[in-house]
Amino acid sequence: MSGNTFPGRRGTNSNPFSGSTLSGESEQTSLGPISKVMEEEENDTVTSPATASFNFAGKGSSTFGSPFGGDASGQGPPSSFKQSSTDGFPAHYGMGRRTSVSAESLNPTASSNDNWTPPFHRKTPDQITRLKKSIFNNFLFSHLDDEQSSQILGALVEKPIPAKGIKVITQGDQGDFFYVVEKGIFEIYVNPAGSLQPGPDGLGKKVATIEPGGSFGELALMYNAPRAATVMSAEPGCLLWALDRITFRRILMDSTFQRRRLYESFLEEVPLLSTLTKYERSKIADALETQKYPAGTTIIQEGDVGEAFYLLESGEAEVYKKGTPNPVKHYTKGDYFGELALLNDAPRAASVVSKTEVKVATLGKDGFQRLLGPVESIMRRTKYEPGVEVIDPLHKK
Amino acid sequence: MAATALLQTTTTGRVGGPSSTTPSQNAPPTAEQKDKDNMAAAQPQTAEEGKQFVARYSDQQHPLPPSEIQQDPRNKDLGRTSRGLSVRDFELVRTLGTGTFARVWLVRLANPAEEDQEKVYALKVLRKVEVIKLKQVDHVNHERSVLADVAGHPFITTLITSFSDHDSLYMLLDYCPGGEVFSYLRKAKRFDEHTARFYAAEIVLILEFLHESEGVAYRDLKPENLLLDAEGHIKLVDFGFAKRLGNRETYTLCGTPEYLAPEVIQSMGHTTAVDWWALGILIYEFLTGYPPFWNSNPIEIYKQIVSKPVLFPTEPAISPEAKDIIRQFCTVDRSHRLGNISGRAERVKSHPFFRGVYWDDVYYRKYRGPIIPPVRYPGDAQCFDQYPDEKAEREPYDDAMKKQWDDHFKDF
Ligand SMILES: Nc1ncnc2c1ncn2[C@@H]1O[C@H](COP(=O)(O)OP(=O)(O)OP(=O)(O)O)[C@@H](O)[C@H]1O
Ligand SMILES: [Mg+2]
Repeated sequence: MSGNTFPGRRGTNSNPFSGSTLSGESEQTSLGPISKVMEEEENDTVTSPATASFNFAGKGSSTFGSPFGGDASGQGPPSSFKQSSTDGFPAHYGMGRRTSVSAESLNPTASSNDNWTPPFHRKTPDQITRLKKSIFNNFLFSHLDDEQSSQILGALVEKPIPAKGIKVITQGDQGDFFYVVEKGIFEIYVNPAGSLQPGPDGLGKKVATIEPGGSFGELALMYNAPRAATVMSAEPGCLLWALDRITFRRILMDSTFQRRRLYESFLEEVPLLSTLTKYERSKIADALETQKYPAGTTIIQEGDVGEAFYLLESGEAEVYKKGTPNPVKHYTKGDYFGELALLNDAPRAASVVSKTEVKVATLGKDGFQRLLGPVESIMRRTKYEPGVEVIDPLHKK
Repeated sequence: MAATALLQTTTTGRVGGPSSTTPSQNAPPTAEQKDKDNMAAAQPQTAEEGKQFVARYSDQQHPLPPSEIQQDPRNKDLGRTSRGLSVRDFELVRTLGTGTFARVWLVRLANPAEEDQEKVYALKVLRKVEVIKLKQVDHVNHERSVLADVAGHPFITTLITSFSDHDSLYMLLDYCPGGEVFSYLRKAKRFDEHTARFYAAEIVLILEFLHESEGVAYRDLKPENLLLDAEGHIKLVDFGFAKRLGNRETYTLCGTPEYLAPEVIQSMGHTTAVDWWALGILIYEFLTGYPPFWNSNPIEIYKQIVSKPVLFPTEPAISPEAKDIIRQFCTVDRSHRLGNISGRAERVKSHPFFRGVYWDDVYYRKYRGPIIPPVRYPGDAQCFDQYPDEKAEREPYDDAMKKQWDDHFKDF
């Protein structure tokens, strides 16, 4: 993967490998962060208009000034602009202009013609366990679902570093890969000049070591930025796992994209939601939460007040009614249930029990209303005649 | 939707002029319609036609209701390609700003007619080589096309025309002489709530328009991209990451580290909701002088953004209304984020932070800007920082690259 370095900012004293990805005792080895003295005020209320400090005038005079105050205070160019007090200002905040960052644009596989599948490199169960421990509490991986996680684990590729003194990444160079240490010790050097310099001291200062289980170079998974440090093997016979940005981003993007389209197509099938605009449907699809249940879980209990509706994403479920021993209905992928909960508070008319392990996408009435406003007004757009039963035997996907 | 309607009805009476002379329609024009319109008007073909068109462009546009921006014939002429125009038709006066991709120049027409001597513009110059190397080909095309579509909005810089030559792309913009809000903010350390509210209100109207009328996500809100016009009103510049989304999410990570929304960092697919997150960060930075999440190491910023709540300093004291709107914008869960939930921008406008604000008056620039830039004459650039000259030698855009890439730049 060649290409040019996106000229990002570089912290002069920052250790890009700080914090939790480092193994060993020193959880907080980060050199960068300067802790702020902050006071948390969670209990503020905005309900008291009496505390409002702005003096807005009536409609007639709104043309001038208030509620923005009216005084033009700039009497010189910004460079001569008056300074207010300096207290309470963090001493280390970099005040310079900030430039933007950007990754290369990628289009989801499903929306283009290419048939991309993530690379797969076999690993032993031990290796998988170690890798999971190394990466899944990293903020770039912690939110991945099972499918994404296993694709990522499969895509990590072995990179042997046979000798001591091999530079895996070089400060100032472009970055395309993230690495996890499987075996051996690596050293991190930072040159205050911002890049590796020629000469004996060109590496700069050694700031940390990384042991097996540690990882480095995660920024490269987001965009192409100059490496903030040099990482070098400290002994022969080291082994790394490597993951490149494009693979990482494609795995996340393709699965998210497919899931979103799936949800949207599911939602299109729900008569109760047939009046939703495309925009509204995509809003709902965006807010749906995926949940997994093992076989035999009661997802909806007959008689309970309904609060959420469900789309069955995978697996099978069955519908039971009190007094009938056998299931009265069978659900498979793409079926939905419980949608009347969006409409009223009537008790659930039947129970839904997972027959296999199931994956459902669910949204509560409150979420629905928060996103689209009162359900009643949406329903009023059409004459949807809710049946008496939650489980409408006529509805078919 | 309601907002647009409201603006329209109240303003027809109030402002009269522009809306009563142009046919008012409720729906924004379809893409097809726009295409037809573009075909209809003749594009400037020669350098002379191009220069005349540029000279005719006058900054004295009246703000039109969002729904009419595309209907106004003057706006339809704006933002289109000028085949005949070249950089030699302009005198490059000085650099106004540089970014990752571009250098923006203050320019005048070369050999202007007597009456055009005072007329100045901003010329954004992008080198094709850089655009390709930084993988921004899609982005510059989006930038040009979105800017062309939104020309005429009172708080967005106007793309007058665009053109290109063998190795560069050019966008001619109206010159915003007040400089960056960033400069005023850093010099003042922080803004009081009146000032912050004034700018925030104008930005709310920009976002409402971009999101709800145009379906566009802006994706790079920050004080560096907010300029002031001569009267101290906001002009949003740099549409380098703006993208027409339709009803789909998008995936390319872009923005500025301190202002990135959590869903962008975590590659979860993002929507126009990212702009409301950024507005929360922006109001925070206005009021305190620094963003809520910062570190010299970007990775540390990102860790904070995805996991830490916004905390407020004891000094300066920030009103409960301001804290509340910041927290509501900076909500990790998009399905709870103000601006993205039901009511959209309308809901933002009715937040207590904006109590007493007459939104029509904001749109029609009736409020006086809290900072009036000290602009002494049209081409005065004292509000801009000085920038070092461009490096003399630059990587050539060779024939091989031309062959592979020039087709991608044909819209300029
Ligand atoms: N119309 C204008 N009038 C005056 N100055 C302008 C204008 N447009 C841009 N500038 C100045 O030039 C600077 C850089 O422009 P712009 O942000 O468009 O470039 P960029 O390379 O895309 O930047 P970034 O790194 O933020 O992506 C702006 O911050 C601003 O100071
Ligand atoms: Mg910019």
